[in-house]
Amino acid sequence: VTSSDALPTAGSPTERRDAGRVVIVGGGLAGFSAAERLRVLGHTDEITIVEGEDCLYDRPPLSKELFAEGFDVDALEFATGERLADLGIGTRHGRRATAIDPTAASVTLDSGEVLPADTILLATGGRARTLPVPGADLPVVHVLRTLADAQAIRDAVSAGCRAVVIGGGLIGAELASALRKVGAAVTLVDPSPTPLAHAVGELMANHLHGMHLAHDVDTRLGVAALIEPASDGSATVVLADGDRLPADLIVVGIGIIPNQEIGVAAGLDADDGILVDAHQRTSAPKVFAAGDVARRRGDDGVMHRREEHWEAAQLSGQAAAAGMLGLAPEVRGTPWFWSDRHGVHLEVVGRLSGSGTQIVREGGPHPAVFLIEDGLLVGAGSLDDANTVRAARRLIDQRIPVSADELADPAVSLRAMLRASR
Amino acid sequence: VSDEGIVVARVEDVPDGEAIRIDAAVTGTVDAIAVFNDGGDFFALDDTCSHEKASLADGWIEDGVVECPLHAGKFCLKDGAVLSMPATRDVACHQVIIDGADIRIVPNPDRLQ
Repeated sequence: VTSSDALPTAGSPTERRDAGRVVIVGGGLAGFSAAERLRVLGHTDEITIVEGEDCLYDRPPLSKELFAEGFDVDALEFATGERLADLGIGTRHGRRATAIDPTAASVTLDSGEVLPADTILLATGGRARTLPVPGADLPVVHVLRTLADAQAIRDAVSAGCRAVVIGGGLIGAELASALRKVGAAVTLVDPSPTPLAHAVGELMANHLHGMHLAHDVDTRLGVAALIEPASDGSATVVLADGDRLPADLIVVGIGIIPNQEIGVAAGLDADDGILVDAHQRTSAPKVFAAGDVARRRGDDGVMHRREEHWEAAQLSGQAAAAGMLGLAPEVRGTPWFWSDRHGVHLEVVGRLSGSGTQIVREGGPHPAVFLIEDGLLVGAGSLDDANTVRAARRLIDQRIPVSADELADPAVSLRAMLRASR
Repeated sequence: VSDEGIVVARVEDVPDGEAIRIDAAVTGTVDAIAVFNDGGDFFALDDTCSHEKASLADGWIEDGVVECPLHAGKFCLKDGAVLSMPATRDVACHQVIIDGADIRIVPNPDRLQ
């Protein structure tokens, strides 16, 4: 951890400036969103995206739709080659950036080629965390981060095959659901009886985790200690308590590690992510960072958690585009995310754990949960009821006072509460 | 004009900020049609989000925009233009005529079965 003294503070927007030639390292959602937004904001100079993969694509479907008919790169691509050409966005596919020079603002590729730039955006994302246990490198053990990962899992699955998913968070739960739907016998392992409690609150986490059981996903409390290979190519996950789970396919979904090394090597301040301000500026003036690799440090010095959600990547890419041009970022709504599993759609806005009073709205097929503090809503979560969360987001953003009784009453729509306040 | 289009609903069936889904069989179109009321202005778009398979009639309607109920891709109510990812393709729009208490739809000829 280096000193953060040099990190610029997010002040009022400076004057519009020319970002010059922009090289974006990483063509995921943050990188693409930045490129697109630069054009919307009138940037006319070169934009080049360096991306090791063959196209620029969206990742949420990888853990949800990977077995669906029509799941292919065409359905995932952010933009066709034609659209990229229209936008004047150049791409270097199949090449990895190996170094940046933050002073000269140049990017070196693994081919040895040096791309000159005036502004660099690091949107290098993260890589799947692997299990630190013997056997974690067996071919039967997969992670899920890229299209190739999803295709490898798809190729490894057949109806009735035994799948063990390690990690019951968003990716693990979505994948367990998708595997079950194609007929695999699925066991989901997590050290918590209520994974995601920090993100969705204890009650919703319990409800969600209970859905696995209802869909014949076997859930096990525990941690993997060892993966033992078998002679037929399968393997056995041995849990710390000695439980043995034979598997034809093992998928590890235990989070990501930010791909910050290229920034660290260039001397950028970093601490579980490349540190940025509200303008996505790093500690080097010509270098910005966005998406999963970036970690926000507030004006008050408070370190925020890296937000690993889809919208956060989109908005931080757009904020980086504004920042590169010396413009203020757009005001961001309260953080929001979704997940799809066992045929239901989860949406969450704000926080559902920590201080405050939890309110539960019963009456539908699924509960909705709210957290209020000092008469204001700070978080909401719902299943198959997106508009409750969309309304909640506006109630939070606009700091509209709410009553616990109304939130608990299924007869009162949040949309009506929002409208009544206007 | 009152014989133009197909009566699909009454104005009172679609409160402000809400939408209804008209089955494709009613309008003879390839997709169901979502009819939206945004502040007293009525709009009609193909109902199925161009991203995945959600019904836009279940979406969030505000300021001339509908937000898909699944992944919040946004579309312009006036012309169906996509405004925000994850959707990347427009949806078709249809003409709406308010005829007294009736809502009439003139289906987009490109979307007839």
